[in-house]
Amino acid sequence: MLTLLQAQQAASQSIMLQNGKIFLVMSVVCIVLIGLFLYVNSIDKKIKQLEK
Amino acid sequence: MLHKKWWKLLSFLLLLYTCTYGFLVKVPKLDDRMQESIRNFFFHVPMWFGMMILLFVSLVYSIKYLRSSSLVHDVYAQAYAAMGLIFGVLGIITGALWANYQWGSPWVGDPKQNGAAIALLIYFAYFVLRGSLVDAEKKARLSAVYNIFSFFMLFPTLWILPRLTESLHPGGQGSDGNPGLNGKDMSANMRTVFYPAVIGWTLLGVWITTLKIRVQLIQLKKEGIL
Repeated sequence: MLTLLQAQQAASQSIMLQNGKIFLVMSVVCIVLIGLFLYVNSIDKKIKQLEK
Repeated sequence: MLHKKWWKLLSFLLLLYTCTYGFLVKVPKLDDRMQESIRNFFFHVPMWFGMMILLFVSLVYSIKYLRSSSLVHDVYAQAYAAMGLIFGVLGIITGALWANYQWGSPWVGDPKQNGAAIALLIYFAYFVLRGSLVDAEKKARLSAVYNIFSFFMLFPTLWILPRLTESLHPGGQGSDGNPGLNGKDMSANMRTVFYPAVIGWTLLGVWITTLKIRVQLIQLKKEGIL
């Protein structure tokens, strides 16, 4: 019971655990997006080198 | 356009905005059948908008090819059609997943689902046609003509027939115009995410397409064709 209370207290502190943990999902999606763009950008750079 | 940086950054910023504010923006509750799944509108629907825009660009380059007979235009047309098709496939997969939980089955034979599947098959045939021809000029000419036909098949399969019958998709019989563009069907809140999402996803598609074009132009130069 005590641990549950502590968990709830922690929940009120971390923004990641609020609103059904939607911010957690948002962060995951953003990391995927950033990773994808970094990869596409690196391919772009490689092609630029080939063009020279 | 090919080597400019600003629109690539714009694409990234718009998609970052879509993937953050898209989860936070207040969406209408209505009768609560959709619940939060209406947020798929920012991801599933832009796939189709992006597909239509990229396929239109592909059509333009096919017409340009027929006027100029320059293989560069054929490379452009082919690359834009490929990326448009990828968007279409992603659209149909995400649509099936959404339909499974919203309509009870991944494939319910909704007129728009069937029409989209037919449209994609017509575009698959474009690549089958390309793959079956060896002579570069014949390949480019025949596939350019076929590409024009494919694009105009989008009119009945996606834009006309699904609107003439009852549909589970918005915009079926009895509603006015395109549900994505018609302001009355989408809340103002959602529009502030939806339009940037369409631009962002489309620009990402254009970026990936230009990468493919550049690689193919390098290859053609290496082979001494250009």
